[in-house]
Amino acid sequence: MVLMETDTIECAIDNDEIHLNNNNNNNKFSSTKSQGGATVVISPATSVHELLECPVCTNSMYPPIHQCHNGHTLCSTCKTRVNNRCPTCRQELGDIRCLALEKVAESLELPCKFYNLGCPEIFPYYSKLKHESLCNFRPFSCPYAGSDCPVVGDNTFLVAHLRDDHKVDMHTGCTFNHRYVKSNPREVENATWMLTVFHCFGQYFCLHFEAFQLGMAPVYMAFLRFMGDEEDARNYTYSLEVGGSGRKLTWEGTPRSIRDSHRKVRDSHDGLIIQRNMALFFSGGERKELKLRVTGRIWKEQQNPDSGVCIPNLSV
Amino acid sequence: MISGEVEPRITDLQIQSRVHELLDLPVCTNQMSSAIYHYQCPNEHTQELNNENTKKKPYNCPHSGSKCDGTGDIPWLLLHLRNDHNVEMHDGRSFSHRYVHHNPKHLHHATRMLTLLDCFGRQFCLYFEAFHLRKTPMYIAFVQFMGDEEEAMCFSYSLEVGGNGRKLTWQGVPRSIRDSHKTVRDSQDGLIITRKLALLFSSDNNSNKELKLKVSGRVWREQ
Repeated sequence: MVLMETDTIECAIDNDEIHLNNNNNNNKFSSTKSQGGATVVISPATSVHELLECPVCTNSMYPPIHQCHNGHTLCSTCKTRVNNRCPTCRQELGDIRCLALEKVAESLELPCKFYNLGCPEIFPYYSKLKHESLCNFRPFSCPYAGSDCPVVGDNTFLVAHLRDDHKVDMHTGCTFNHRYVKSNPREVENATWMLTVFHCFGQYFCLHFEAFQLGMAPVYMAFLRFMGDEEDARNYTYSLEVGGSGRKLTWEGTPRSIRDSHRKVRDSHDGLIIQRNMALFFSGGERKELKLRVTGRIWKEQQNPDSGVCIPNLSV
Repeated sequence: MISGEVEPRITDLQIQSRVHELLDLPVCTNQMSSAIYHYQCPNEHTQELNNENTKKKPYNCPHSGSKCDGTGDIPWLLLHLRNDHNVEMHDGRSFSHRYVHHNPKHLHHATRMLTLLDCFGRQFCLYFEAFHLRKTPMYIAFVQFMGDEEEAMCFSYSLEVGGNGRKLTWQGVPRSIRDSHKTVRDSQDGLIITRKLALLFSSDNNSNKELKLKVSGRVWREQ
């Protein structure tokens, strides 16, 4: 069974495509369907999709799908929580699997749940979830570091959320000059971090500064994330610099997309990492107090991979 | 929340920010290297500098630290390094090397490479080393001056490592070879990166987890 009734399909579709194999997601077929947008979903498919909704948790059901003696269905997660009683008719639940419904689901094709955000794609029931976890039209997650904030939305919404709910500092401009101060830098057992949002080039960037333990050594790390997708992040480059007493450390790189979590970027070491001793050295004075000045800037430039250069190889 | 992690205390870390045009960081030529890494009393330090014998004291071989007992003046050391340790000498103030480490995960002990640089009528030691800093695998590169600290302070050097759209640059003052290689390494007074970052730099030119680090740099005279 396919989603479309022949009546609503554009005349452009050939007869061949109506006999489309369920597993064949032909692009032309998909793009034609997408012109209908949300209105494509019509009665027969909708009722099947509704049948696949668990009556208890209302999530989509995936194999194994269960049923009671009277035929009421239930998802496997909820089955473990209903004390062997069907929530619909209160009869005793067995271990009956509703294979027929699982098979019907195989032939169901549905639009991506982000169709209202612009995603034109249609997927078979069993691959829809995977696509939706990677869909480019899906909203962004709140980029705040620390405990995972569940808020999602577009960038404009998230910037306001960071400002109002997380009290994050906002700056306009593409250069920065921050001084990180910590009176007792030896207390770095728990990870501590700061986030500042920069607005430039019509985009938003998140500058993270964090103290944590790298293995057993205390370090500080600064890195930039871009509020947008990786593809767009590649249009920008940023630099970070620390220094003092005749020494200077400069990092230059591409901001990571906020699609990559703060923790993932931190643990990949993709930024400016300074050992605590060196950070204290740069702080000057007695070197007991952290007063680290970090300067930096963001500019529009794509980084190219290094071209091959003929230089001697030295094996370690 | 992942178990083991505690809610971060943002009150511990304050931020003082001023948004400026980016200013060049003034390179402070107030050389304080020894004072920090040795925590020497200023008086002791001054004594050592004023002691003329210091300048005539032979230098220890900078090659393997404690393993080689060779001592002598600079010309003797240069011959010793070339003949006995097969160390290469490069002419010129700038350099570019690629370090290849075939099985970076199999590194169990520190491994280092030494190259000599000849410029400004003087010689410098360029070290590249793979080691563990409290169990975390790291790489460090730094330059030491074949001579005394007084003269070392007249120079600066930069080291740059990068790849895969990223670049890290270190600018520093060469330490005198009066400081052992190990002292300089343990004070982290050089370009230091984790193995993870090194592999990130390497990952655009190889799919296997082989380390291919391009390190370039130059030496120059201050003033």
